[in-house]
Amino acid sequence: MEFEFKGNTIKFQRELSNLDKLVIKFTKILEKQEIDYVIISGYIAILFGRSRNTEDIDLFIEEMSFEKFKEFWTELEKQGFECIIESDPKQAYYEYLKNQTPVRFAIKGTFLPNFELKFAKTKYNFYSLKHKVKVIVNKEKLNIPELEMQIAFKLKLGSEKDFEDARHLYKVFKESLDMKLLENQIRELKVEKEAEERLWKKV
Amino acid sequence: MEKGLKLTKIDLKELEEEKKRNRIERLKFIDLYAKWLKKTPNKVWSKQQNKFLNK
Repeated sequence: MEFEFKGNTIKFQRELSNLDKLVIKFTKILEKQEIDYVIISGYIAILFGRSRNTEDIDLFIEEMSFEKFKEFWTELEKQGFECIIESDPKQAYYEYLKNQTPVRFAIKGTFLPNFELKFAKTKYNFYSLKHKVKVIVNKEKLNIPELEMQIAFKLKLGSEKDFEDARHLYKVFKESLDMKLLENQIRELKVEKEAEERLWKKV
Repeated sequence: MEKGLKLTKIDLKELEEEKKRNRIERLKFIDLYAKWLKKTPNKVWSKQQNKFLNK
């Protein structure tokens, strides 16, 4: 795997999968609407080669007014997406997003894969948005959290799949990671035991 | 005859050990795969991954 890791940018080339193309299509709408976002799901591990698929792509977006959200909703519909859990944007905004409940969008008439959107609310969410890394894949741009945060957070989530994603990212980017930062994030999220068993363990 | 499994403590211990063995095997696979990824050109691994993802 060849990639260029400079500051807060990772640049690399790959053959895009259908999933990559769909994610790029969705994030281009976010960019067009000038909505700050960060992808936080297992998709990051998949983008960097992990041998698994996913049914959803999780994103944090900055909180916005209903008017801005409605414009985003309209643009999504124009580009072939629909909200699969709520047909009324007002309900989606006030009953879901404002109550820290995610909304999901997929290509019209489909259910999988879908994009799970949440407003950034917690300290972790804001940290991820503030310290995001720009991935330039071919010529397309995607925002992800710093890898050290993502690895530690995967350990916090705690499913087998999350542990494996964490180890995959750690093994692939080991030489480029800021180990002090990774250790700090692990300590702050109180996942030292998980790191011991799932990250550092030699097998 | 009663339906369903009836497991003893020994059976459960065996299952726990199997779970542990599977976990180690998965870690080994991830390490092996990451090692392969790192030495394989992007064009090659991404093409192979796409065959799997785009099924």
